[in-house]
Amino acid sequence: MVLEKKLVEDVLYTVIKNGGDFAEVFVENRFSTRMEMKDGKLEKVASSKEFGIGIRGFLGTKAVYAYTNDTSIDNLLAVAKRVGQALGEIKVEEITLNLEKVDIPNRHVVYLYPQDVSKDMKVDIMRKAYSSAKNFSNLITQVVVHFWDYDQKILVANTEGTFAEDRRVRTRLMIQAVAERNGEMERGFYGPGAGMGFEFFDRIDVEEAGRRAARIAVRMVEAEPAPAGKMPVIISNEFGGVIFHEAVGHALEATSVAKGASVFAGKLGEKVAAECVSAVDDATIPNAWGSANIDDEGTPTQRTVLIENGILKGYLIDKLGERRMNMKSTGSGRRQNYKFAPTSRMSNTFILRGEYYPEEIIAATDYGLYAKSMGGGSVNPATGEFNFAVNEGYLIEKGKITKPVKGATLIGKGYEIIQKIDMVGNDLDRGQGMCGSFSGSVPADVGQPTIRVSEIIVGGRNR
Amino acid sequence: MNFEEFKDKVLAYAKKKGLEAELNYEMEYEFSIMLSNGELDQYSDAGSRSVMLKVLKNGKLGVSSTEIFEEPERLVEEAEENMKLVDSEEEELLYDGKGDYPSYPSMKTYFGEFEKLSVKDKMDFAFNIHKHAKEDKRIIMVPRAVFAHFVRESRIINTLGLELFYKGDGGYAYAMTLAADNSPRAGLYFDVSTVPEGLNSELIGKKAAEEAIMKIGSKSLKSGKYRVILRNDVVSEIFGMLAGMVSAERAQKNLTPLKNKLGEKVGSDILNILDLPYFPGSIFNRPFDSEGVPTQEKKVFENGVFKTFLHNLKTAKKENRKSTGNARGLSEIAPVNFVIEKGNYDYNQLLKEMNSGVVITDVEGMHSGSNPISGNFSLGARGYRVENGEIVGGVEQITISGNILEILKNVEAVGSDIKVFLSCISPSLLIKEIDVAGNEK
Repeated sequence: MVLEKKLVEDVLYTVIKNGGDFAEVFVENRFSTRMEMKDGKLEKVASSKEFGIGIRGFLGTKAVYAYTNDTSIDNLLAVAKRVGQALGEIKVEEITLNLEKVDIPNRHVVYLYPQDVSKDMKVDIMRKAYSSAKNFSNLITQVVVHFWDYDQKILVANTEGTFAEDRRVRTRLMIQAVAERNGEMERGFYGPGAGMGFEFFDRIDVEEAGRRAARIAVRMVEAEPAPAGKMPVIISNEFGGVIFHEAVGHALEATSVAKGASVFAGKLGEKVAAECVSAVDDATIPNAWGSANIDDEGTPTQRTVLIENGILKGYLIDKLGERRMNMKSTGSGRRQNYKFAPTSRMSNTFILRGEYYPEEIIAATDYGLYAKSMGGGSVNPATGEFNFAVNEGYLIEKGKITKPVKGATLIGKGYEIIQKIDMVGNDLDRGQGMCGSFSGSVPADVGQPTIRVSEIIVGGRNR
Repeated sequence: MNFEEFKDKVLAYAKKKGLEAELNYEMEYEFSIMLSNGELDQYSDAGSRSVMLKVLKNGKLGVSSTEIFEEPERLVEEAEENMKLVDSEEEELLYDGKGDYPSYPSMKTYFGEFEKLSVKDKMDFAFNIHKHAKEDKRIIMVPRAVFAHFVRESRIINTLGLELFYKGDGGYAYAMTLAADNSPRAGLYFDVSTVPEGLNSELIGKKAAEEAIMKIGSKSLKSGKYRVILRNDVVSEIFGMLAGMVSAERAQKNLTPLKNKLGEKVGSDILNILDLPYFPGSIFNRPFDSEGVPTQEKKVFENGVFKTFLHNLKTAKKENRKSTGNARGLSEIAPVNFVIEKGNYDYNQLLKEMNSGVVITDVEGMHSGSNPISGNFSLGARGYRVENGEIVGGVEQITISGNILEILKNVEAVGSDIKVFLSCISPSLLIKEIDVAGNEK
């Protein structure tokens, strides 16, 4: 780390001497590479080095945040002073800091760090993905492949004595295929990633990933518009979990709950979902896309049960949430980078497995939509209103998948939808996404087995 | 080391290695206050800077960037290494400030008025927003009342002799409200301005409250085709998708449905969309783009005819023409201010003109529910039911679906109520029909 312990301590002292009852320093050093391939040609290669320091202070539940990437001692102390002064009241006359680095066992072992692998090898992966997508069908007219990896080192110290470091490595391959038929174009996307280095590509089948993106594009360009209206919807496993993420997960974050601005505030111990629904947030899964050893506030991460057999069991809590809700932090304080104050966020969030085979669920459905691949979505936690896009959909008629349909968006209110889940499959899997909220965009896994929602509004076209 | 020293070392080292080079320096300062239920929740006062280096040789470009001004040689080597990997045959280039381009449009982008406000003034402003948002008894909560302002500086310096400087500032404020009903109704009102006088705390608070109150008693609709008014702020969001579809890069790479439509009539006669370097009150005004090329006023759609794609240096070179000054960031192409020219109907006249239908006041899920490759979109929406030209109730739990190119054709009337907010600036539009899905029988 670039900041000496003595300087970190001086910054913390300076905040507290000028105001507030808690001070925190976050130091981030990140190296990332992004590459873009279009038409099989490598067009853009850009690497970047980010380095900055975030300084935060609390006075009760009031928070002041500042950041800088000018690391001169004078500047850091000046920023710290501004933070303390903005908090106003001086609460602590004398403080003795005893920062001792705590050794936190590393659960996320990385073998091949981004800087240790030549970019040529990464480009080869991109080419493989490109070729398999392009060769999938002669309807594929364009394939855009992105490669992204980074190595982020952080240090968090605070006046409670926390002095912790973590190193997060992320690698992701993103494939977008475009199919064209009779002048109509549609796209397919697949973007697998993990909290791993280059060894990630020993774990996944890159060619299959390319074909998957291409398959979606081809099926969708052959599809007719999805029907409009209320109907049963079967949502496939893996990235289908975005429904829980949007419809429920965001409304369980302390950011909304603590202010009472969540439909789930004050409902701990109550039945909020159908009995077949149990869900967790787990940042401890080794090398998962949303995992970490500690959160961005230095708290060790954990597995948090959110819903168990339909009963609300827990919220996602950060340090401010701890103060506001009088509950312990769940290690959920996250941020995009040092330019954002951390807030409560999801990590790897998913519905646990149930008992049905996916085929059984389809066979048990007379008419409805089978949402095989999901796009992203969004939610207003205060009202529970969510929406998310179906990237690959099929019509179900008389217990069978009959034809592809495109362009559907699903909407509803989260607290209503989780009561309407009536079948949960046994094929739990997770998918990767970027989750955007007040503390920026962070890697997050969503997940679930195949589920059925008895009715939901499908935003398609009217015949 | 300081930026001046760092910059000189980077450019000199690149030259020594036989590379052309360009540095793009960005500085950002932001201040924000967020109140939650009337209490200070988050206060932020911060700045950062970064520099991006592009190196060029034989038409190939490599990029590296950093936020600490150390190891200038390493930055150049990294960019050079990246450049060597590129195998695209498309010629990249840097701008030398010469050639047959219009001169840089003169405009004022830095006012400095926000910076003169004291912390107390800013606090008072946020508290005032909260106070006015909370006035009406039906408002149960004001989860956010926010006041923020920023300063941005950028410099472009290259080995071909180009040296440009930009400084701009602005501010914004908004409130989020919740009104009591059988399920809570959300309201949001947002304003931006280049000077503090352009932001009115009372108006922002009251409008945010009104937005929620008007939704009390909202119901869904029966699925079907409806005549709709897309309110000005909603058009700004939806037409942001169109702004991405007029990129020449997208056309050359077969990624936009407009690719073969240049010169064709794709929209309604009354539809004119411009790209403007300057629009009064916009915080996106710029005299030059991210490659240093002068920004230029142009008609993108004129009386419904698609007139031009937007270019950067590379896409222009490929078609043997001039850049239109629309480079954004490293490889994006985007309008500066994408402005839908206003018409003659004020908002109430539009309601009368529609007579019966739906006003769409909010859309959700633009990032996931819109597909710029096909032009299709399907979005969560809220709004008002209109009968006999009057608003008769709120609408919730519906989606609107369609294709942006169909929307262009179906514009029946253009409002005069321009709202400056995002970089897509628009009045409200009356649309002949749009697909709605809802859950009413």
